[in-house]
Amino acid sequence: MEDLKAYIESGVLELYVLGDLTEGEKLEVETMLDKHPQLRNEVTEIEKSLESYSQASAVNPPEDLRSKILGDLETSDSRSETPVIPLNQPKNIRFYKYGFAASVALLILSLIALINMRSQLKESQNQITALQLSNRQYSSRVNFVEKQLDEANQSLSIFHKPDEYKIVSLKGTPKAPSARMMVAFNPEKAEVMIDLASVEMPANDNSHQYQLWALVDGKPVDLGVFDADRDSVGMIKMKTLKNAQAFAVTLEPRGGSINPTMEMMMAMGEI
Amino acid sequence: MYSASLFGVIVRIVQNEELAADLLQESFVKIWNSFDSYDEKKGRIFTWMVNVARNLSVDKLRSKDFRNNSKNQDIDNSVISIDEQRSTTLNPEVLGVKEMVDNLKPDAKAVLDLIYFKGYTHVEAAEELGIPLGTVKTRIRLAIISLRKLFN
Repeated sequence: MEDLKAYIESGVLELYVLGDLTEGEKLEVETMLDKHPQLRNEVTEIEKSLESYSQASAVNPPEDLRSKILGDLETSDSRSETPVIPLNQPKNIRFYKYGFAASVALLILSLIALINMRSQLKESQNQITALQLSNRQYSSRVNFVEKQLDEANQSLSIFHKPDEYKIVSLKGTPKAPSARMMVAFNPEKAEVMIDLASVEMPANDNSHQYQLWALVDGKPVDLGVFDADRDSVGMIKMKTLKNAQAFAVTLEPRGGSINPTMEMMMAMGEI
Repeated sequence: MYSASLFGVIVRIVQNEELAADLLQESFVKIWNSFDSYDEKKGRIFTWMVNVARNLSVDKLRSKDFRNNSKNQDIDNSVISIDEQRSTTLNPEVLGVKEMVDNLKPDAKAVLDLIYFKGYTHVEAAEELGIPLGTVKTRIRLAIISLRKLFN
Protein backbone atom coordinates (compact mmCIF):
# COMPACT_ATOMS: atom_id res chain seq x y z
CA MET A 1 0.00 0.00 0.00
CA GLU A 2 2.81 2.40 0.89
CA ASP A 3 4.43 1.58 -2.40
CA LEU A 4 1.27 2.43 -4.30
CA LYS A 5 0.95 5.76 -2.53
CA ALA A 6 4.53 6.63 -3.35
CA TYR A 7 3.87 5.57 -6.93
CA ILE A 8 0.86 7.87 -7.15
CA GLU A 9 2.74 10.74 -5.60
CA SER A 10 5.66 10.36 -8.00
CA GLY A 11 3.42 12.06 -10.60
CA VAL A 12 4.05 9.36 -13.20
CA LEU A 13 0.32 8.74 -13.61
CA GLU A 14 -0.25 12.38 -14.53
CA LEU A 15 2.50 12.19 -17.12
CA TYR A 16 0.93 8.97 -18.38
CA VAL A 17 -2.40 10.69 -18.91
CA LEU A 18 -0.67 13.66 -20.53
CA GLY A 19 0.99 11.26 -22.96
CA ASP A 20 4.37 12.49 -21.80
CA LEU A 21 6.11 9.16 -21.24
CA THR A 22 8.43 7.02 -23.34
CA GLU A 23 7.07 3.76 -24.72
CA GLY A 24 8.92 1.77 -22.05
CA GLU A 25 7.61 3.88 -19.20
CA LYS A 26 4.12 3.68 -20.67
CA LEU A 27 4.21 -0.12 -20.72
CA GLU A 28 5.45 -0.12 -17.13
CA VAL A 29 2.55 2.07 -16.00
CA GLU A 30 0.07 -0.10 -17.88
CA THR A 31 1.31 -3.23 -16.15
CA MET A 32 0.93 -1.49 -12.82
CA LEU A 33 -2.59 -0.35 -13.74
CA ASP A 34 -3.57 -3.91 -14.64
CA LYS A 35 -2.33 -5.12 -11.25
CA HIS A 36 -3.85 -2.43 -9.08
CA PRO A 37 -7.41 -1.23 -9.59
CA GLN A 38 -6.68 1.56 -7.17
CA LEU A 39 -4.17 3.02 -9.60
CA ARG A 40 -6.71 2.64 -12.37
CA ASN A 41 -9.19 4.74 -10.39
CA GLU A 42 -6.53 7.35 -9.80
CA VAL A 43 -5.84 7.56 -13.53
CA THR A 44 -9.55 7.89 -14.30
CA GLU A 45 -9.77 10.74 -11.79
CA ILE A 46 -6.84 12.50 -13.42
CA GLU A 47 -8.39 12.03 -16.83
CA LYS A 48 -11.72 13.45 -15.67
CA SER A 49 -10.02 16.49 -14.15
CA LEU A 50 -8.10 17.28 -17.30
CA GLU A 51 -11.19 16.64 -19.35
CA SER A 52 -13.14 19.15 -17.28
CA TYR A 53 -10.24 21.57 -17.47
CA SER A 54 -10.15 21.43 -21.25
CA GLN A 55 -13.93 21.57 -21.39
CA ALA A 56 -13.86 24.66 -19.25
CA SER A 57 -11.24 26.20 -21.51
CA ALA A 58 -12.99 25.08 -24.65
CA VAL A 59 -13.00 27.33 -27.70
CA ASN A 60 -15.76 26.95 -30.23
CA PRO A 61 -14.32 26.10 -33.63
CA PRO A 62 -15.58 27.99 -36.71
CA GLU A 63 -19.13 27.05 -37.75
CA ASP A 64 -18.28 25.72 -41.20
CA LEU A 65 -15.62 23.41 -39.82
CA ARG A 66 -18.16 20.83 -38.71
CA SER A 67 -19.46 20.06 -42.18
CA LYS A 68 -15.93 20.23 -43.56
CA ILE A 69 -14.76 17.61 -41.09
CA LEU A 70 -17.76 15.38 -41.70
CA GLY A 71 -17.09 15.58 -45.45
CA ASP A 72 -13.45 14.75 -44.83
CA LEU A 73 -14.36 11.75 -42.69
CA GLU A 74 -16.63 10.45 -45.43
CA THR A 75 -13.90 10.57 -48.05
CA SER A 76 -11.28 9.09 -45.77
CA ASP A 77 -13.67 6.36 -44.72
CA SER A 78 -12.63 3.94 -47.45
CA ARG A 79 -9.85 2.64 -45.24
CA SER A 80 -11.98 2.09 -42.19
CA GLU A 81 -14.18 -0.92 -41.65
CA THR A 82 -16.44 1.00 -39.27
CA PRO A 83 -19.97 1.27 -40.66
CA VAL A 84 -20.96 4.82 -41.50
CA ILE A 85 -24.29 6.32 -42.52
CA PRO A 86 -23.56 7.87 -45.94
CA LEU A 87 -22.86 4.54 -47.60
CA ASN A 88 -25.92 4.84 -49.84
CA GLN A 89 -24.18 7.52 -51.83
CA PRO A 90 -21.80 5.26 -53.80
CA LYS A 91 -24.78 2.98 -54.39
CA ASN A 92 -26.63 5.93 -55.88
CA ILE A 93 -23.66 6.89 -58.01
CA ARG A 94 -23.34 3.30 -59.14
CA PHE A 95 -27.04 3.27 -60.02
CA TYR A 96 -26.66 6.42 -62.09
CA LYS A 97 -23.52 5.02 -63.71
CA TYR A 98 -25.36 1.86 -64.74
CA GLY A 99 -28.38 3.90 -65.76
CA PHE A 100 -26.26 6.12 -67.94
CA ALA A 101 -24.50 3.15 -69.54
CA ALA A 102 -27.85 1.50 -70.19
CA SER A 103 -29.28 4.60 -71.85
CA VAL A 104 -26.21 4.98 -74.04
CA ALA A 105 -26.45 1.32 -75.07
CA LEU A 106 -30.17 1.73 -75.77
CA LEU A 107 -29.49 4.83 -77.83
CA ILE A 108 -26.86 3.01 -79.91
CA LEU A 109 -29.18 0.03 -80.42
CA SER A 110 -32.01 2.33 -81.47
CA LEU A 111 -29.75 4.11 -83.94
CA ILE A 112 -28.62 0.80 -85.44
CA ALA A 113 -32.22 -0.36 -85.69
CA LEU A 114 -33.23 2.93 -87.28
CA ILE A 115 -30.45 2.72 -89.88
CA ASN A 116 -31.40 -0.89 -90.61
CA MET A 117 -35.06 0.01 -91.06
CA ARG A 118 -34.11 2.88 -93.30
CA SER A 119 -32.04 0.73 -95.64
CA GLN A 120 -34.75 -1.92 -95.66
CA LEU A 121 -37.34 0.70 -96.50
CA LYS A 122 -35.18 1.98 -99.36
CA GLU A 123 -34.71 -1.55 -100.66
CA SER A 124 -38.45 -2.18 -100.48
CA GLN A 125 -39.14 1.03 -102.35
CA ASN A 126 -36.68 -0.01 -105.06
CA GLN A 127 -38.34 -3.39 -105.30
CA ILE A 128 -41.75 -1.76 -105.56
CA THR A 129 -40.62 0.48 -108.45
CA ALA A 130 -39.06 -2.51 -110.20
CA LEU A 131 -42.25 -4.52 -109.72
CA GLN A 132 -44.39 -1.65 -110.95
CA LEU A 133 -42.18 -1.35 -114.02
CA SER A 134 -42.34 -5.05 -114.84
CA ASN A 135 -46.06 -5.01 -114.08
CA ARG A 136 -46.54 -2.24 -116.61
CA GLN A 137 -44.44 -4.17 -119.09
CA TYR A 138 -46.54 -7.25 -118.54
CA SER A 139 -49.84 -5.41 -118.86
CA SER A 140 -48.77 -3.76 -122.09
CA ARG A 141 -47.50 -7.12 -123.27
CA VAL A 142 -50.86 -8.65 -122.32
CA ASN A 143 -52.67 -5.86 -124.15
CA PHE A 144 -50.57 -6.48 -127.19
CA VAL A 145 -51.08 -10.22 -127.06
CA GLU A 146 -54.82 -9.75 -126.51
CA LYS A 147 -54.99 -7.54 -129.54
CA GLN A 148 -53.06 -10.09 -131.58
CA LEU A 149 -55.33 -12.83 -130.26
CA ASP A 150 -58.41 -10.80 -131.23
CA GLU A 151 -57.11 -10.32 -134.68
CA ALA A 152 -56.12 -13.94 -135.01
CA ASN A 153 -59.57 -14.98 -133.80
CA GLN A 154 -61.10 -12.65 -136.37
CA SER A 155 -59.09 -14.24 -139.18
CA LEU A 156 -59.85 -17.68 -137.84
CA SER A 157 -63.58 -16.95 -137.81
CA ILE A 158 -63.30 -16.04 -141.48
CA PHE A 159 -61.47 -19.18 -142.35
CA HIS A 160 -64.02 -21.18 -140.40
CA LYS A 161 -66.79 -19.99 -142.66
CA PRO A 162 -65.80 -21.34 -146.09
CA ASP A 163 -69.42 -20.95 -147.30
CA GLU A 164 -69.49 -17.22 -146.86
CA TYR A 165 -65.88 -16.40 -147.72
CA LYS A 166 -63.88 -17.49 -150.67
CA ILE A 167 -60.21 -17.68 -149.87
CA VAL A 168 -58.16 -16.55 -152.78
CA SER A 169 -54.51 -17.32 -152.67
CA LEU A 170 -52.29 -14.91 -154.59
CA LYS A 171 -48.95 -16.17 -155.93
CA GLY A 172 -45.85 -14.29 -156.95
CA THR A 173 -45.21 -13.21 -160.47
CA PRO A 174 -41.80 -13.61 -162.10
CA LYS A 175 -41.06 -10.13 -160.68
CA ALA A 176 -41.37 -11.46 -157.13
CA PRO A 177 -41.42 -15.24 -157.26
CA SER A 178 -41.62 -15.75 -153.49
CA ALA A 179 -44.49 -13.32 -152.99
CA ARG A 180 -47.62 -14.81 -151.48
CA MET A 181 -50.77 -13.62 -149.72
CA MET A 182 -54.37 -14.52 -149.08
CA VAL A 183 -57.50 -12.52 -149.76
CA ALA A 184 -60.91 -13.39 -148.36
CA PHE A 185 -63.86 -12.47 -150.57
CA ASN A 186 -67.55 -12.50 -149.66
CA PRO A 187 -69.60 -11.77 -152.76
CA GLU A 188 -72.87 -11.55 -150.80
CA LYS A 189 -71.65 -8.92 -148.36
CA ALA A 190 -69.33 -7.43 -151.01
CA GLU A 191 -66.46 -7.79 -148.52
CA VAL A 192 -62.81 -8.04 -149.48
CA MET A 193 -60.27 -8.61 -146.76
CA ILE A 194 -56.53 -9.20 -146.69
CA ASP A 195 -55.12 -11.65 -144.15
CA LEU A 196 -52.08 -9.70 -143.06
CA ALA A 197 -50.51 -12.71 -141.38
CA SER A 198 -50.33 -14.44 -144.72
CA VAL A 199 -48.69 -11.53 -146.53
CA GLU A 200 -45.24 -12.56 -147.63
CA MET A 201 -44.08 -9.77 -149.85
CA PRO A 202 -40.83 -7.79 -150.03
CA ALA A 203 -41.19 -4.89 -147.58
CA ASN A 204 -42.19 -1.64 -149.27
CA ASP A 205 -40.31 1.60 -148.63
CA ASN A 206 -41.80 4.83 -147.40
CA SER A 207 -42.54 6.24 -150.83
CA HIS A 208 -44.34 3.13 -152.12
CA GLN A 209 -47.34 1.04 -151.11
CA TYR A 210 -48.91 -2.15 -152.34
CA GLN A 211 -52.27 -1.73 -154.10
CA LEU A 212 -54.87 -4.48 -154.42
CA TRP A 213 -56.79 -4.74 -157.64
CA ALA A 214 -59.73 -6.87 -158.69
CA LEU A 215 -60.16 -7.99 -162.26
CA VAL A 216 -63.83 -7.55 -163.11
CA ASP A 217 -64.69 -8.53 -166.63
CA GLY A 218 -61.10 -7.98 -167.77
CA LYS A 219 -60.83 -4.50 -166.18
CA PRO A 220 -58.77 -3.63 -163.06
CA VAL A 221 -60.77 -2.19 -160.14
CA ASP A 222 -58.95 -0.39 -157.28
CA LEU A 223 -59.50 -2.03 -153.91
CA GLY A 224 -57.17 0.14 -151.81
CA VAL A 225 -53.54 0.19 -150.60
CA PHE A 226 -51.74 -1.65 -147.82
CA ASP A 227 -48.26 -2.01 -146.35
CA ALA A 228 -46.33 -5.24 -146.20
CA ASP A 229 -45.24 -5.48 -142.62
CA ARG A 230 -43.95 -8.78 -141.28
CA ASP A 231 -45.19 -8.28 -137.72
CA SER A 232 -48.80 -7.32 -138.46
CA VAL A 233 -51.54 -9.89 -138.09
CA GLY A 234 -55.33 -9.84 -138.55
CA MET A 235 -57.58 -8.88 -141.41
CA ILE A 236 -57.92 -5.48 -143.02
CA LYS A 237 -61.04 -4.60 -144.94
CA MET A 238 -60.53 -3.27 -148.46
CA LYS A 239 -63.07 -1.49 -150.67
CA THR A 240 -66.37 -3.25 -151.39
CA LEU A 241 -66.80 -5.43 -154.40
CA LYS A 242 -69.59 -7.82 -155.47
CA ASN A 243 -68.03 -9.59 -158.33
CA ALA A 244 -64.51 -10.44 -159.42
CA GLN A 245 -62.67 -13.07 -161.40
CA ALA A 246 -59.19 -12.46 -160.03
CA PHE A 247 -57.11 -10.34 -157.58
CA ALA A 248 -53.72 -8.80 -158.22
CA VAL A 249 -51.23 -6.70 -156.27
CA THR A 250 -48.97 -4.04 -157.73
CA LEU A 251 -46.36 -1.80 -156.16
CA GLU A 252 -47.48 1.79 -156.61
CA PRO A 253 -46.36 5.20 -155.33
CA ARG A 254 -47.68 5.85 -151.82
CA GLY A 255 -51.42 6.51 -151.84
CA GLY A 256 -52.03 4.34 -154.87
CA SER A 257 -52.64 4.97 -158.54
CA ILE A 258 -55.79 5.17 -160.64
CA ASN A 259 -54.56 2.54 -163.05
CA PRO A 260 -52.33 -0.31 -162.11
CA THR A 261 -48.68 -0.19 -163.18
CA MET A 262 -48.56 -3.54 -164.93
CA GLU A 263 -44.74 -3.78 -164.79
CA MET A 264 -44.87 -3.68 -161.06
CA MET A 265 -47.39 -6.54 -160.62
CA MET A 266 -46.10 -8.61 -157.72
CA ALA A 267 -48.74 -11.27 -157.11
CA MET A 268 -51.90 -12.56 -158.64
CA GLY A 269 -54.57 -15.20 -157.99
CA GLU A 270 -57.74 -16.30 -159.67
CA ILE A 271 -60.97 -17.07 -157.86
CA MET B 1 -19.23 17.43 -28.31
CA TYR B 2 -15.48 17.18 -27.80
CA SER B 3 -14.69 19.44 -30.72
CA ALA B 4 -14.70 22.68 -28.69
CA SER B 5 -12.48 21.13 -25.99
CA LEU B 6 -10.07 19.77 -28.60
CA PHE B 7 -10.13 23.06 -30.49
CA GLY B 8 -9.31 24.88 -27.24
CA VAL B 9 -6.22 22.74 -26.77
CA ILE B 10 -5.11 23.02 -30.39
CA VAL B 11 -5.64 26.76 -30.70
CA ARG B 12 -3.57 27.33 -27.56
CA ILE B 13 -0.74 25.26 -28.94
CA VAL B 14 -0.56 26.79 -32.42
CA GLN B 15 -1.84 30.29 -31.54
CA ASN B 16 -3.58 30.57 -34.89
CA GLU B 17 -7.29 29.94 -35.41
CA GLU B 18 -7.01 29.09 -39.08
CA LEU B 19 -4.23 26.59 -38.59
CA ALA B 20 -6.06 25.25 -35.53
CA ALA B 21 -9.15 24.62 -37.65
CA ASP B 22 -7.06 22.64 -40.15
CA LEU B 23 -5.46 20.70 -37.33
CA LEU B 24 -8.81 19.94 -35.71
CA GLN B 25 -9.97 18.53 -39.01
CA GLU B 26 -6.78 16.50 -39.35
CA SER B 27 -7.18 15.28 -35.78
CA PHE B 28 -10.71 14.04 -36.38
CA VAL B 29 -9.63 12.26 -39.54
CA LYS B 30 -6.75 10.64 -37.70
CA ILE B 31 -8.99 9.71 -34.75
CA TRP B 32 -11.51 8.26 -37.17
CA ASN B 33 -9.02 6.24 -39.16
CA SER B 34 -7.04 4.95 -36.22
CA PHE B 35 -10.04 4.29 -34.06
CA ASP B 36 -9.11 0.59 -33.98
CA SER B 37 -5.96 1.44 -32.04
CA TYR B 38 -7.92 3.00 -29.20
CA ASP B 39 -8.05 0.60 -26.26
CA GLU B 40 -10.92 1.20 -23.89
CA LYS B 41 -9.07 -0.43 -21.04
CA LYS B 42 -6.14 1.96 -21.28
CA GLY B 43 -8.11 5.08 -20.57
CA ARG B 44 -10.96 7.41 -21.34
CA ILE B 45 -11.62 8.22 -24.94
CA PHE B 46 -11.17 11.95 -24.52
CA THR B 47 -7.67 11.42 -23.11
CA TRP B 48 -6.81 9.48 -26.22
CA MET B 49 -8.37 12.06 -28.50
CA VAL B 50 -6.67 15.01 -26.86
CA ASN B 51 -3.32 13.26 -27.05
CA VAL B 52 -3.82 12.62 -30.78
CA ALA B 53 -4.74 16.27 -31.32
CA ARG B 54 -1.84 17.52 -29.17
CA ASN B 55 0.71 15.31 -30.93
CA LEU B 56 -0.52 16.43 -34.35
CA SER B 57 -0.38 20.08 -33.31
CA VAL B 58 3.09 19.85 -31.81
CA ASP B 59 4.33 17.95 -34.86
CA LYS B 60 2.90 20.65 -37.07
CA LEU B 61 4.43 23.41 -34.99
CA ARG B 62 7.85 21.83 -35.19
CA SER B 63 7.64 20.71 -38.78
CA LYS B 64 9.89 22.28 -41.35
CA ASP B 65 6.80 23.30 -43.28
CA PHE B 66 5.42 25.41 -40.48
CA ARG B 67 8.73 26.98 -39.56
CA ASN B 68 9.32 28.03 -43.16
CA ASN B 69 5.94 29.65 -43.23
CA SER B 70 6.41 31.55 -40.03
CA LYS B 71 9.45 33.71 -40.56
CA ASN B 72 11.98 30.87 -40.66
CA GLN B 73 12.27 30.45 -36.95
CA ASP B 74 14.11 27.43 -35.67
CA ILE B 75 12.87 25.20 -32.87
CA ASP B 76 14.37 27.22 -30.06
CA ASN B 77 13.01 30.47 -31.36
CA SER B 78 9.56 29.03 -31.86
CA VAL B 79 9.53 27.75 -28.30
CA ILE B 80 10.52 31.19 -27.09
CA SER B 81 7.86 32.86 -29.23
CA ILE B 82 5.19 30.57 -27.86
CA ASP B 83 6.43 31.52 -24.43
CA GLU B 84 6.23 35.19 -25.31
CA GLN B 85 2.63 34.76 -26.36
CA ARG B 86 1.81 32.88 -23.20
CA SER B 87 0.23 35.90 -21.60
CA THR B 88 -2.61 35.59 -24.10
CA THR B 89 -3.06 31.90 -23.44
CA LEU B 90 -6.65 32.12 -22.33
CA ASN B 91 -9.07 33.55 -24.84
CA PRO B 92 -11.81 36.00 -23.91
CA GLU B 93 -14.39 33.26 -24.45
CA VAL B 94 -13.14 31.43 -21.40
CA LEU B 95 -12.89 34.34 -18.99
CA GLY B 96 -15.03 32.64 -16.38
CA VAL B 97 -12.75 29.66 -16.40
CA LYS B 98 -9.76 31.93 -16.18
CA GLU B 99 -11.00 33.21 -12.87
CA MET B 100 -11.68 29.72 -11.64
CA VAL B 101 -8.36 28.41 -12.76
CA ASP B 102 -6.61 31.44 -11.37
CA ASN B 103 -7.43 29.96 -7.98
CA LEU B 104 -4.80 27.33 -8.76
CA LYS B 105 -1.34 27.95 -7.46
CA PRO B 106 0.32 29.98 -10.22
CA ASP B 107 3.50 27.91 -10.25
CA ALA B 108 1.57 24.65 -10.60
CA LYS B 109 -0.77 26.05 -13.25
CA ALA B 110 2.14 27.38 -15.31
CA VAL B 111 3.68 23.93 -15.56
CA LEU B 112 0.40 22.18 -16.36
CA ASP B 113 -0.49 24.76 -19.01
CA LEU B 114 2.91 24.45 -20.64
CA ILE B 115 2.36 20.73 -21.06
CA TYR B 116 -1.37 20.52 -21.57
CA PHE B 117 -1.98 23.65 -23.58
CA LYS B 118 1.43 24.25 -25.09
CA GLY B 119 2.49 20.78 -25.97
CA TYR B 120 5.70 20.87 -24.02
CA THR B 121 7.09 17.67 -22.59
CA HIS B 122 7.82 17.79 -18.88
CA VAL B 123 11.51 17.78 -19.72
CA GLU B 124 11.11 20.82 -21.95
CA ALA B 125 8.99 22.50 -19.27
CA ALA B 126 11.73 21.92 -16.71
CA GLU B 127 14.29 23.48 -19.03
CA GLU B 128 11.97 26.35 -19.88
CA LEU B 129 11.23 27.21 -16.29
CA GLY B 130 14.68 26.37 -15.02
CA ILE B 131 13.44 23.97 -12.34
CA PRO B 132 14.33 20.33 -11.61
CA LEU B 133 12.36 17.52 -13.24
CA GLY B 134 11.07 16.30 -9.89
CA THR B 135 9.62 19.72 -9.15
CA VAL B 136 7.90 19.76 -12.50
CA LYS B 137 6.25 16.43 -11.76
CA THR B 138 5.18 17.54 -8.32
CA ARG B 139 3.70 20.76 -9.64
CA ILE B 140 1.78 18.90 -12.33
CA ARG B 141 0.34 16.64 -9.68
CA LEU B 142 -0.56 19.53 -7.44
CA ALA B 143 -2.26 21.34 -10.29
CA ILE B 144 -4.34 18.33 -11.18
CA ILE B 145 -5.31 17.74 -7.59
CA SER B 146 -6.49 21.34 -7.41
CA LEU B 147 -8.46 20.81 -10.60
CA ARG B 148 -10.07 17.77 -9.11
CA LYS B 149 -11.22 19.77 -6.11
CA LEU B 150 -12.33 22.61 -8.35
CA PHE B 151 -14.51 20.53 -10.65
CA ASN B 152 -15.84 18.20 -8.03
